[in-house]
Amino acid sequence: MSAQPATLDTETSHPLKRLWDAGPAGWNNALTKPSVLVPFFIVAALIPFALQYVEDNSSWTGTQFWTFLLANCAMYACLAVALNLVVGYAGLLNLGFIAFFGIGSYAYALVASNQIHQHFPFWAALLVVILVTLAFALLVGIPALRLRGDYLAIVTLGFGLIMNDLILNLDRPPVLAGHQFGPSGLNLTGGTNGLHNVAPFPLPTSLPLLGEIPHSRMYYWIFLGALALSIYGILRWRHSRTGRAWVAIRDDELAARAMGVNTFKYRLLAFCISAVMAGIFGMIDAAFVFNAYPDNFAVQQTVTVFIMVILGGLGSLPGAILGAIAFTVPPYLMQQLVSYKYLIVAVALIAVMVLRPEGLLGTVSIRPRKTMGGTVELLTAESTIEATELPAVTDTEVADLEAQSGAIVEDPEWKP
Amino acid sequence: METVTGRKAVLELRGLTRRFGGLTAVDRFDVHVNEGEIVSLVGPNGAGKTTVFNLISGVLKPTAGSAKLLGRELTGLPAHRITHHGIARTFQNIRVFPQLTVRENILIGTHHWTRSGLLGSVTFWPPTMRAERAAQAEVHSAIDLFRERLEARLDDPAFSLSYANRRRTEMARALAARPKLLLLDEPAAGMNPYERIEVAGLIRAMRDRGLTIFLIEHHMPLVMEISDRVVVMDHGVKIAEGLPKEVHSNPRVVEAYLGRRAASA
Repeated sequence: MSAQPATLDTETSHPLKRLWDAGPAGWNNALTKPSVLVPFFIVAALIPFALQYVEDNSSWTGTQFWTFLLANCAMYACLAVALNLVVGYAGLLNLGFIAFFGIGSYAYALVASNQIHQHFPFWAALLVVILVTLAFALLVGIPALRLRGDYLAIVTLGFGLIMNDLILNLDRPPVLAGHQFGPSGLNLTGGTNGLHNVAPFPLPTSLPLLGEIPHSRMYYWIFLGALALSIYGILRWRHSRTGRAWVAIRDDELAARAMGVNTFKYRLLAFCISAVMAGIFGMIDAAFVFNAYPDNFAVQQTVTVFIMVILGGLGSLPGAILGAIAFTVPPYLMQQLVSYKYLIVAVALIAVMVLRPEGLLGTVSIRPRKTMGGTVELLTAESTIEATELPAVTDTEVADLEAQSGAIVEDPEWKP
Repeated sequence: METVTGRKAVLELRGLTRRFGGLTAVDRFDVHVNEGEIVSLVGPNGAGKTTVFNLISGVLKPTAGSAKLLGRELTGLPAHRITHHGIARTFQNIRVFPQLTVRENILIGTHHWTRSGLLGSVTFWPPTMRAERAAQAEVHSAIDLFRERLEARLDDPAFSLSYANRRRTEMARALAARPKLLLLDEPAAGMNPYERIEVAGLIRAMRDRGLTIFLIEHHMPLVMEISDRVVVMDHGVKIAEGLPKEVHSNPRVVEAYLGRRAASA
C-alpha cells in the first residue's frame, strides 16, 4: 500500500513538474524531440520578421544589428554542436577544432575571390572545402588519435597553433633550407590582412512573397538551416550503431574494443565529421562576411566554443545551443560596460561550473569520474591489467585494489 | 581437433606465454575447451588467470604461443576482430558503459554483426533500418535469461543499476554478440549466496543454449557444482587439470592455495 500515494502523485502532478523532476537527462530527451525542435526552428526563422515589424512601427532601429548578431549566434551554435559531437559524444579533446573552421573559410575564399583568380561554382567550392578539411583532418587525426586524453589535446592544440602561423606567413612563398617553393609573387593567404572580396553564395536577393532579403537575414537562415541539418544528422547518428559506438568508446574504450568496436575507426570518424562540419561553417562565414581572417584560427575562438559546449553540458545538443546563445547575446547587451562585460561573464561561468559541474543540460561531469570503476579505472587500460595481474603484489594489496574497483573478494565459504 | 570424448575443441591454447618485463605472468599455458563444455580456470590471486583471458580476447598480445578458436589462429588479431570470430567476454570489475542505457549497452554487443553507414542512418536507408531492427530484436532475446530483472530497466542508464544488475547487463551484452565461446571473469564476485545460485543456473542455461563457457571463479563450491572440467594455475603455470573431484584433492592445488605446510599436514 505504501507505493500507492507515490503512483498517484506522478499521475496527477503537472506535466511541467514531472519534466522538472526528470532532471537534465530527461530535459535533453524532451528538448530533442521533433515536436520541440521543429517549432523552435520555425520560430527562430521568423525572428527577423518580428524585428522588422517592430522597427517599422516604432522609432527603434536595431533590426540590422540584431539580425547580424543572430547570424553570429547561429554560427556559434553550429560550431558548438559540431564540437559537442567530437568532445561530448566521442570524448576526444580536440583543441585544434577551430583550425578546421579557418581551413574551410580560407579554402572557400581561395576558390571564390581574386586572390588566385579562381571563381568556382557553389557546389564545386563546397566539394573543395569538404575535401580540403577532410584531408587536414586525416593528416592530423591518423597519427594523433593513437594518443589518449591529454596527449591528444596537446597535439591538436599544436596543430591549431601551427595552422595559425602558416596562415600568417603564407603571404609569400615558403622557403625551406634555402629553397623557395612556388613563384616569387605567390600569396596564398594574404598574411595578417586575410583574404578580401570573397564572393557570397549565388543566392537571389529577393524572393516572391518574402520580398527583399537583406544579406544578414539570408545568412542567418543559412546558418539556421546548417544547424538544423547538423542536429538532425547528429541525433540520427546518436541513436544508431555509430553513435552508440562513440559513447561506448568515451565511457570505456577497453570494453568497447572487447565488444568488437573498431575504436580507432570510430574515433577517426567522429574527428573527421566534426572537422568537415566546422569547415563548411567556415565556408558559410567567409561568404557571410566577404572575408577570411587569420583570427578564424585564433586559439581564443577554440576556447569560446569550448566554453559554450561545457557551459551547455557535454553531450547535450540543446545545451550546446543554449551555451552559444548565452555566450554571444549577453556580451553584446553589455557593450557599454567595455571589458567589464568579460568579468561578469567569467563570474557567471564560474558560478555555473561550481553549482552544476555537468553544465546546464549536461549528464557527464567534467570532474574525474569516481563511479563504477574507482581508482583502478583512472589508470590507463594497459596499466590496469598489469597492476591487477602482477603476481609480485601481495594478496591483500590485490584484494584492496579489487575492493576499490568494486570486485569484492569476500568469501566466507571459500575452501580449497 | 577431435578429443577423446569425440567433441570438437572450440578453444585451443598452446604454449601461451606472456611476459611483463622480467616477469612471466603466463608461462607456456596449454588448455583446450570443447564444444558445449563449462571449464573453470581457478588459482590464487595473481596466478595469471585474467591475463589468460586478456590474451585470448586480444586485449594483450602474447609473447609466444598460440590461441585457436575452432582451428582459427587468434594471436595477432586486434581485439575487435577476435569478437567477430566468436568470442565474447565479461570483466572482473564490471565494465558496462555507464552513460548508455541498458538497451544501448546490449546493442553494443550486436555491433560486430550489424552494418550501418553514416548516410544510411540519416536517410533511413532500408538495409540500415533492417540491421537496426535486427539488433533491437536481439536485445529482446539476449535478456531472455534476465527478463524479470532487466526488462523494466532497459531504458535506464547503466550507472543507475545495482551491482548485480550491472553484471546481468554485462552478460546480456556478451550474449548479444552471439559468441561461440563465452569468457566469464569471476561472474559471481561480490554477489550474495542467492545471487550466486542464480549465476550457477544462468551459466548452465547458457551452456544448454549451445554456448561453450570458459570461466574464472574464486568461489569453489560454485566451481565444483557447475564445471565439467577445472584447470588450476599458479604463478602463470598450469598445475592441475581434470574433473572437479580430482582437482579438489590434488595436493599441488591445496599447496598453491594454502602453502606447503597445509598440504603436507
